Amino acid sequence: MEGKSVFDLEVGEIGYVKTFNNLDCACKLLTLGILPKSKVKVVRKSPFGDAIYLQLDGHKIAIRNSEGKAILIED
Amino acid sequence: MGELQENLKVALVGNPNSGKSSLFNILTGLRQSVSNFPGVTVDKKVGSAILSDKSKVTLIDLPGLYSLHPNSRDEKLVVNILTDQKGEYFPDLVIYVADATNLERHLLLATQIVDLKIPMIFVLNMIDILEEKNQKIEPEYLSKYLDVPVIQISGRKSKNIDTLKSLIKDYQTKGSADFLSSKQLYAIPKTLEGLTFDIAQNLNVKNPYLSKIFSHHFDWLNHFSEDEKEKINSIATKHEFDNIKNQLDETMSRYNEFGPIARKVVTRETNAPSTITDKIDSIITHRILGPILFFAIMLFVFQAIYSWSEAPMDWIEQFFAFSGNAVRNIMPEGWYTDLIVDGIIAGLGGILIFIPQITILFLLISILEETGYMSRAVFMFDGLMQKFGLNGRSIVSLVSSGACAIPAIMATRTISSWKERLNTILVSPLISCSARIPVYAVLIAFVVPKDQTFGIFNLQGLAFMGLYLLGIAGALAAALVFKYALKVENDNSYLMIELPQYKPPIWKNAILNVKEKVTTFIVEAGKVILVISILLWFLASYGPSSAMKQAELSAIEHIETNNLTEIEGENYLAGKKIEASFAGHLGKFIEPAIKPLGFDWKIGIALITSFAAREVFVGTMATIYSVGSADDEATVSARMAAEINPQTGEKVYNPATSLSLLIFYVFAMQCMSTLAVVRRETNSWKWPAIQFFFMGAMAYFGSLITYQLLS
Repeated sequence: MEGKSVFDLEVGEIGYVKTFNNLDCACKLLTLGILPKSKVKVVRKSPFGDAIYLQLDGHKIAIRNSEGKAILIED
Repeated sequence: MGELQENLKVALVGNPNSGKSSLFNILTGLRQSVSNFPGVTVDKKVGSAILSDKSKVTLIDLPGLYSLHPNSRDEKLVVNILTDQKGEYFPDLVIYVADATNLERHLLLATQIVDLKIPMIFVLNMIDILEEKNQKIEPEYLSKYLDVPVIQISGRKSKNIDTLKSLIKDYQTKGSADFLSSKQLYAIPKTLEGLTFDIAQNLNVKNPYLSKIFSHHFDWLNHFSEDEKEKINSIATKHEFDNIKNQLDETMSRYNEFGPIARKVVTRETNAPSTITDKIDSIITHRILGPILFFAIMLFVFQAIYSWSEAPMDWIEQFFAFSGNAVRNIMPEGWYTDLIVDGIIAGLGGILIFIPQITILFLLISILEETGYMSRAVFMFDGLMQKFGLNGRSIVSLVSSGACAIPAIMATRTISSWKERLNTILVSPLISCSARIPVYAVLIAFVVPKDQTFGIFNLQGLAFMGLYLLGIAGALAAALVFKYALKVENDNSYLMIELPQYKPPIWKNAILNVKEKVTTFIVEAGKVILVISILLWFLASYGPSSAMKQAELSAIEHIETNNLTEIEGENYLAGKKIEASFAGHLGKFIEPAIKPLGFDWKIGIALITSFAAREVFVGTMATIYSVGSADDEATVSARMAAEINPQTGEKVYNPATSLSLLIFYVFAMQCMSTLAVVRRETNSWKWPAIQFFFMGAMAYFGSLITYQLLS
């Protein structure tokens, strides 16, 4: 087990980014402002449950479930 | 320096959603033009900005990007431009536009460009939003950190634009010294010093950060020769350069440096109350309401196209009928008058009448994009799109295809997976574009009675929507087939999209956008239609002389034996003449192939000409029926309605034929410009050829089934 990821967060739950488990994904997430120590809040899931609407400090982004699994959060 | 720099090249650079393009519109007004960068279909927006003393500078609006380590093709183009110091578009000065309400993330690219040693003015945009919230802004921390001028503006409220202009003026008169940072914001790590040193030596690069960028991206930077690429490659290999890890390290280190600065410049509100955007999104992206609203918006768009355009279309129609008659009355009778009235005026009128519908469609789509709605649609439908082998971003292309497949295919560049992108390119033209509107509008009248309503809906509007739905279903079905049929690896597939704040559309942007697209449509379509109308008029008026004479003699005989009235006789004669003409021969030649679809040779002529562009259909009909009729008053559709099949004595445009023809136009690939763009975007003739044939097959068999079932 690698620990909890953004994908494991419930709607409304807040987590703090610890690290990434996929370098390629990490590069792209960084440019969108998801960094280690960033606060992320899961606002809602997409209508078909396949994507996550995230609130970051100051802006919002949407990622896939698989991309959420690449973002590990502090326990 | 001191001397005035003429032809100063200023580039606007920034993240997507930084308000860059609005600023471009404010600075250039109508003095702008859109074309393509050479070799690639990336919009190149160039304009001129007039400074306080009436001097001009050239302004280029570059596509938005987040980092010099880019993902998509548009972003790569910007990196190409900014790293090619000898390039045609390399800017003398960068105006870096950042969203002050979300400063931290907008700083990454800015610090990278400062390290490229390009002179810069840093623009804190959208300060009006911060001021409304009484938030304090302290730009001096930023100007000290970056060591370039920083100014605060509001593009939305046109605030401080003059200050920006006078700064550009300063650059023009005093030179670059004040705009060039003396700082190296990212210190190249010790471990990379050997690498950057070797590249500096071998390629004569002075800037170590530029050397680093080269080692990351040399394989797609187009200003390197194969020889140079080989050199960099061997240097990178020698130093065991880890591309991805070094991108990560750089990005992290930059964030660590500027993060605290950003928080000093704009103090963040802690526990920000939920914004209007949050409230809107709780409905718009709601699990159930979201998709329902999406379809309601689409339904509204199509209803609007139909109902709002009625009056202006009537005016245009009357204008062309009037012009045709006026010309006929003024000019002496002769072949040139026929050419002008039956060829040019009829052909152009047939297409210009659709300007109102096309304008409404483009306007509504550009509003959906401007407000930020489109990225919500991407979020909602990404999973669904993936089931069809597409990407959430494909929804932007599929919706824009409703206006025109060309910008839609260009919009696929934001899709990072080649397989998903290719699939989107292949199926987008199946979505009914604005060029099909004229064809649908004319033919729907023969299938669905006018002015009939179903509840609050106009029945013709509903039929119209039905055709669009058919196109969408066709596109999704084809995408599903390609998902399995395309033997291309599906890697690099991501969603990761920013959901910007909702903003009321800036009308100036929307109107400029629509104006540009409608003008392109009229000019591009107009050129083709004019040439084809003239050609058709010739082909329909002349023919092999013996056949023409023969037709005339037998027609006169027929008129005399049957004792026809003068008008009946003229129409009969004209009809026989067109049948004997070159166009008639052409149509007759393909008639056997299209007869099972319910089409006659006149429709055959229109099908042939429509392969240049669909909208030519109406122009062709107008030309054929004008030439073939003595009556100048009636409109195209009135003439088509009156058309009788001489063999069966029934109307040619009965519901079966009309519906079959509609189905043909829903599916067929009848647009040379789209095929050309697909070739350019996929860099091969293979894909446009595949597209042409699979869509052609869908059209032929779709029509065949429809006609055989209905007749």
